[in-house]
Amino acid sequence: MTTTTTSDLRSATSGTAAALRANRRRRAGRSILVTCALTVAVAALFVFTMMVGSFRIGAGEVIASVLHLSDNPSVDFVVRGLRLPTAAAALTVGLALGASGTIFQQVLRNPLASPDFVGITSGAGLAAAAGIVLLQAGGLVVSGLALGGAILAALAMYLLAWRDGVTGYRFILIGIGVAAFFEGLIGYVLSRAQLFEARQAMHWLIGSVGQASTTELLLLTGALVVLLPVAVLLQRPLGALDLGDDTARTLGARAELSRAGLLGTAVVLVALAVSVAGPIAFVALVAGPIANRLLGPAARGVLPAALVGAGLLLTADLVAVHLLPTPLPTGVVTGAVGAPYLLWLLATTNRQGAGG
Amino acid sequence: MTRLRAEGLTLGYDDRTIVDNLDVTVLDGKVTAIVGANACGKSTLLRGLARLLAPRAGTVLLDGRSLAELRNIDVAKVLGLLPQTPVAPDGITVADLVSRGRYPHQGWFRRWNDDDHDAVARALDATGTADLIDRPIRELSGGQRQRVWVAMALAQDTDLLLLDEPTTYLDINHQVELLRLLRKLNAESGKTIVIVMHDLNLACRYCDHLIAMSSGAIVAEGAPVDVVTGDLVEQVFGLNCLVVPDPIAGTPMVVPA
Amino acid sequence: MSATSQIGTRTSTGGVRRASALGPGLAVLFVALALVGFLSVTLGSRAIGVSEVLHALVNFDSDGPISSTVTLEMRVPRTLLGILVGAALGVAGAILQGVTRNPLADAGILGINSGAAAFVVFAITVLGVRGIGVYVWFAFAGAIAALALVYAVASLGREGATPVKLALAGAAVTAGLVSVTSGIVMTNVDALNELRFWQVGSLAGRYTPILTGVAPFLLLGLAASLGFGRAINGLALGEDVARGLGQNVVRTRAAAFAVVAVLAGAATAACGPIVFVGLVVPHLARFICGPDYRWILPYSMLLAPIVLLLADVLGRVVAAPDELQVGVVLGLMGAPAFIAIVRYGRLSEV
Repeated sequence: MTTTTTSDLRSATSGTAAALRANRRRRAGRSILVTCALTVAVAALFVFTMMVGSFRIGAGEVIASVLHLSDNPSVDFVVRGLRLPTAAAALTVGLALGASGTIFQQVLRNPLASPDFVGITSGAGLAAAAGIVLLQAGGLVVSGLALGGAILAALAMYLLAWRDGVTGYRFILIGIGVAAFFEGLIGYVLSRAQLFEARQAMHWLIGSVGQASTTELLLLTGALVVLLPVAVLLQRPLGALDLGDDTARTLGARAELSRAGLLGTAVVLVALAVSVAGPIAFVALVAGPIANRLLGPAARGVLPAALVGAGLLLTADLVAVHLLPTPLPTGVVTGAVGAPYLLWLLATTNRQGAGG
Repeated sequence: MTRLRAEGLTLGYDDRTIVDNLDVTVLDGKVTAIVGANACGKSTLLRGLARLLAPRAGTVLLDGRSLAELRNIDVAKVLGLLPQTPVAPDGITVADLVSRGRYPHQGWFRRWNDDDHDAVARALDATGTADLIDRPIRELSGGQRQRVWVAMALAQDTDLLLLDEPTTYLDINHQVELLRLLRKLNAESGKTIVIVMHDLNLACRYCDHLIAMSSGAIVAEGAPVDVVTGDLVEQVFGLNCLVVPDPIAGTPMVVPA
Repeated sequence: MSATSQIGTRTSTGGVRRASALGPGLAVLFVALALVGFLSVTLGSRAIGVSEVLHALVNFDSDGPISSTVTLEMRVPRTLLGILVGAALGVAGAILQGVTRNPLADAGILGINSGAAAFVVFAITVLGVRGIGVYVWFAFAGAIAALALVYAVASLGREGATPVKLALAGAAVTAGLVSVTSGIVMTNVDALNELRFWQVGSLAGRYTPILTGVAPFLLLGLAASLGFGRAINGLALGEDVARGLGQNVVRTRAAAFAVVAVLAGAATAACGPIVFVGLVVPHLARFICGPDYRWILPYSMLLAPIVLLLADVLGRVVAAPDELQVGVVLGLMGAPAFIAIVRYGRLSEV
């Protein structure tokens, strides 16, 4: 510092600027590479899930059928009628869960603060379980209840946590309380239910991509088309929020507004995802950390996390339906698919010293 | 004409009032030090001036307009603050952190241009942190880390810069270097600088203007030569001492008695 | 401006009370625990008078009237178990939150419950074992194995088991084990039925043999845990500061985990997963005593059994002659109270 001269202050040394440019280019390059690779992998998985099954279909035929390029009634029936809804559900639900999970973790600055842990999913679960058990509801009604339950739970948490603004810490604690309350109520509802309805409710609570209806799917797809770009745009204030509220405000970010916008986006995504497929566990929790480790030190992205979520759910669906002796709901398998991978990443990337 | 001043400023947390009905004027183009004992309200005042704390009463005026009615992003282009204990996300690198100082100058879609590049490179060079850009923050020493945070505040490129105890983690050499750097920024670009600091001797040596606080009130204000006396130090810090001229600069120097 | 005002400032912002108030506070809690314990013995779906309880306790006559039998063979072991398990869960939760510096950390999230459940399912399906008395030991082993795995994965690499890595490894192990367990259970009705019974998370039906089985572990763990207050205070300031204070961070963390494994493992083995207590009570303790773990640990140790027993008694009384599971009561009654405290109280962060 002592050696800097006046001219250095006015115009930066070309060496520093060049190093800075190289640094940016390298990180941007890795980010683009990872995102592209993930996109390709997800697309491949998406097509592959529609190829396998008791009736095998080639990749070309699947793509042609999905895009309405060919006219082969039997293939169309299997692909568009039977397999596309499930595959599309796995894709969209995975994208939504991955994106919302990583937003929650980043805004609340806690790797455990995915929507599963802070009460939003349990709000949806309670509403759905109550609907199934008390109203003997099914199908769209249950989905609607789950959607409402998740959004109400999120609103309640936000209002309860509000005191001259919402800090991540208070939001998390309120979330724990709300989750415990809802879990208690779910336990109560289940213990008072008839066996048949209790089993139905428990099945819904595990979550499966196979149960999606077309209406819900279209709704979720529409929401993704609008909200994913919004989430990607909102990453900008997130970069400032990361440094703490004080620094964020000093830098001119509207901390409270950005946080509310980010959380709102994430809540709508996760609520829709849960209403489509039930509260599939762990996708939202592990997608973000996996994506972060692929991206390298301190780089984060909503899009890569969403893609990881979709990849996880598509893989889980493949395993659940085709690899196991008896087909199981997807929610059973997601943990088994994502967990070993996250553990492996944790064990191998530690040396770089990059945290969550 | 001063760009930043406060009128009847009252600040506090929850039910405690810390700064009560204070009028402060930050002199343009000067380096001002706010000094005082621990818990005298100097950091609170700084937070109030930087709109991190909403006033209970009174206003903070920037260019004649109340901070409350200005857009946050517009303030951030003119007024920067380095908080006392900033938080860095896990694993973030120096280049990334310093680059975030450019936030107020970027729009939703226009993200990164040559101006940003130059500002960041200048800030890195000025603080001597250019060779650290690929290092994660948490691997740095306390002094390096502090200089990186200063670099981030410099990258923000504001006319007014407030720093909350920026010298705390630095050794004597780096303390002096940082203060010299701030002086140089002040001399070259007329940056107005306000520093909250503990070291009275360094404040006297490197600052034009001194604001001494005690129990949330200003007890003395003016050029160091005019205000720093044994009585003042006794009053503000509770230290019995002798004030002698600094052998090199002639500014007041406090020697414990 | 000197020492007095410093202490004053901290008292009103951080909630740091003076030790002079915290000491008697512990005594008050102790009395409260004794009271709740007494309630737990007297109240229930079958109310037993005070004199009958005393009579049973003094005469120790299990062949006497039904009230004596109920008291001695059911209520007393259940109450003692509640106290021990509650204390263990509270302290384990407090230690974990301190060591991982994460308000969401509890034994459940770090793999204990899922490990215990996985081993119980393994015992049922592969070894064909039956009976809650046997499950205890499988659950205990599973809990410890899961926590060891979490710790081992998180410890790989140069920095050792940092809070972030611990949290993530715990979440990952839990995710994996839960998947495997529920996968097996979904295809094996027999295992589902048995696991459901174990997984309720209840003090009911856990009588003397289980109590005597796990009590030594719990007592040992509780005694060991009280020594951790200072060490966790150091860790709470961050690893660098802790090292600077002369702590061996790696060893402290490993020892703390060992204690947690024993405490939470034995508690979960005895009663099944009871999540709320370990997660929430440390926050209550922190609310009362501020961030000093030398106080948080004993407060958690006394507060947790009070909360657990109260919920248990309430579940017995409200739904008599049926019982509400303690987990359900904790969620319904405890969570709103917790939310109110978080909302209106001053918080010290972990």
